[in-house]
Amino acid sequence: MTARQRADRLAGLAFVAPAALTLAALALYPALWVLWLSLQQRVPIFGIARFVGLDHFAFLATDPRFWNAARVTLVFTGVSVVLELVLGMAAALALQRQRVGRRLALSLLLLAWALPSVVTARLFEWLYHPSAGLVNIVLGRPLNWLGDPTLALAGLILADVWRTMPFVALLCYARLLTIAPEVYEAARVDGAGRLATLTFVTLPLLRSILLVALLFRTLDALRAFDLMYVLTGGGPANTTETLTVYAYRSLFQTLQLGFGSAIGVVIFVLVMAVAAVYLRALRREGAAA
Amino acid sequence: MRWVALVLAVVVLLPGCAERHDGPGPVTLVFKHAKILGPSDPIPGLLREFERRNPGVTVRSEPLTWTSDEQHQFYVINLEGASPTFDVLMLDVIWVPEFAQAGWLLDLSPWVTRDELAPHFPAAVAAATWGGRVWGVPWNMNVGVLYYRADLLAKQGLAPPRTWEELVTQTERVRAAEGDPRLDGVLWQGKQYEGLVVNVLEHFWGSGTALIGEDERVLPQVDRAAAALTFMRGLVERGVSPPWVTAGDEELTRRPFGDGRAVFVRSWPYALDLFEQPDSPVRGRVGIAAMPGHVGGGPGAGATGGFHLAVNRRTRHAEAAVALVRYLGGEPAQRALTAAGVALYPTRMALYHDPDIVRARPQMPRFHDLALAARPRPVTPWYLMLSTTVQPEFSAVLVGVKTPRQALDQARHRLEYMLGGLR
Repeated sequence: MTARQRADRLAGLAFVAPAALTLAALALYPALWVLWLSLQQRVPIFGIARFVGLDHFAFLATDPRFWNAARVTLVFTGVSVVLELVLGMAAALALQRQRVGRRLALSLLLLAWALPSVVTARLFEWLYHPSAGLVNIVLGRPLNWLGDPTLALAGLILADVWRTMPFVALLCYARLLTIAPEVYEAARVDGAGRLATLTFVTLPLLRSILLVALLFRTLDALRAFDLMYVLTGGGPANTTETLTVYAYRSLFQTLQLGFGSAIGVVIFVLVMAVAAVYLRALRREGAAA
Repeated sequence: MRWVALVLAVVVLLPGCAERHDGPGPVTLVFKHAKILGPSDPIPGLLREFERRNPGVTVRSEPLTWTSDEQHQFYVINLEGASPTFDVLMLDVIWVPEFAQAGWLLDLSPWVTRDELAPHFPAAVAAATWGGRVWGVPWNMNVGVLYYRADLLAKQGLAPPRTWEELVTQTERVRAAEGDPRLDGVLWQGKQYEGLVVNVLEHFWGSGTALIGEDERVLPQVDRAAAALTFMRGLVERGVSPPWVTAGDEELTRRPFGDGRAVFVRSWPYALDLFEQPDSPVRGRVGIAAMPGHVGGGPGAGATGGFHLAVNRRTRHAEAAVALVRYLGGEPAQRALTAAGVALYPTRMALYHDPDIVRARPQMPRFHDLALAARPRPVTPWYLMLSTTVQPEFSAVLVGVKTPRQALDQARHRLEYMLGGLR
């Protein structure tokens, strides 16, 4: 290595240092602290602080409440993300064709997304009201949306789809705007019908943006908290208790800092694993394009 | 001079040393409390009056978020962080032993004697004391009561029910006579949250058992507890209560009754003020009764709730802070709060028979009797752990995914694991 190269390298490090230090202070340090907490039994109000190693994780492995929360989290994430992607894409395609009132449609879409999620939750509390709620009036049936163990999770998923579908729709719509009209002209000249144009032209061009939307939405859904916290409190019978709600209850309501952190660590690992899979797919996508 | 500054700094920084010394000069107290909803907020007036009586003391009022969970979280973070950013705090009765055990509250025993607390309801005093010390001054009172449609019961010549079994037969008679399919029987709070635990406790007490026994044992009589839960599930199964009570909280259950769509509702005193509004469909038709008991169990008792006032142990102005707490919990302040017409009820028993107050709120003597017979939720530092552990289990019974026996066994197993290392 020449002196020049060494100087370059030092300068590079110096430029990266502020970002790296900030990241370390804001993300790495708290993450390590939570990891350290998860290895302890720590209940400050009882003056308990002792090292227990992996005991909390061993307890979680046989804890039916934990496995239930994990299952609820995965079902919620899987179903809501798929619905959001399909409906969001459909909405974007419809918007692209729409001639009149496109601005209005866009602002209405944005409105649903811009509402704070606690407000959305309150809104749905009244929409799902068993006797006076709009949903049941439209359906004409007295469904017990939030109090029936077989319906509550579906109710939450619907609320989440309503709230975040616009996000996917806007991402897709933005991508659709950048597709050159010549591409479609060429397809028409080649004799492609509507279906063929959609499957062989539009969808492949949307692929990478859909992957990005998928990444964002999955990570958000895995950490979903406010909807269930406000609407059902995790009930009935814990059928809507996600891992984050379980962690919150352990940490802030019962003040078991060690045990709650252990659940937090599991969520962290889960999110990281999913992110790693997606990022690999995205990188491959980047290489192919 | 340097050493003087150093000593001063040590005195100020050392908690526990500084707290008993109110230096001369102006003192500013910070009072953290939830905003009082209602036609007028009487608190600022009370604080100005306190300042007038205590020259040199200023009180700054800081609002707290409205939901109980957020208040708890705020206190936990700020008190554990040991920051003396507020001196006097309003707290839910169920947190008092927890905060006291954590060492966050100033022991009020040197100032507030048992005699001083005697005019408050016994259930409120029980919730303010723990481990033989006084940690809070009762401020406002809440008690579970049964509201009934006096007009509908009178039509059938019925007196308000003394037992839940009687309530069921009364419901069937009234509904058969009215012939209105939209008229529900009894509404109560079955959503998976603190309110559910309150409702279950009232059924436990009415069945002659408790969640925590005299000897601190969890679920001392599982059979009776299971029978109470079976009865609650039965209310839903038999249609005495609509299926949605399993997602019902206070407001969700108060509204239909207020619209004339139910015969009974279990709620708190605040609901009566709303039922008696000029535009209310049930105005003048609502009766108040004690929570029913169970046949073969015991007499019913409502659960108490409400708020206490306490002092942050890290306060730098202990004397002034204690004075404020005693002033706000005292007779004149509670009278002013009650007279302001907000839906808060005092903890001082005499006010319930005060001629001036009774003239404006004729239901006060009735609430007095109900609050006197009421019981506090378990007074223990691990109440929240207890409550959040049993909530999903009770909810599972109500929606029929677990039998009462399964749910109680699992609740007990979990509680014994969690409390095992703590006691």
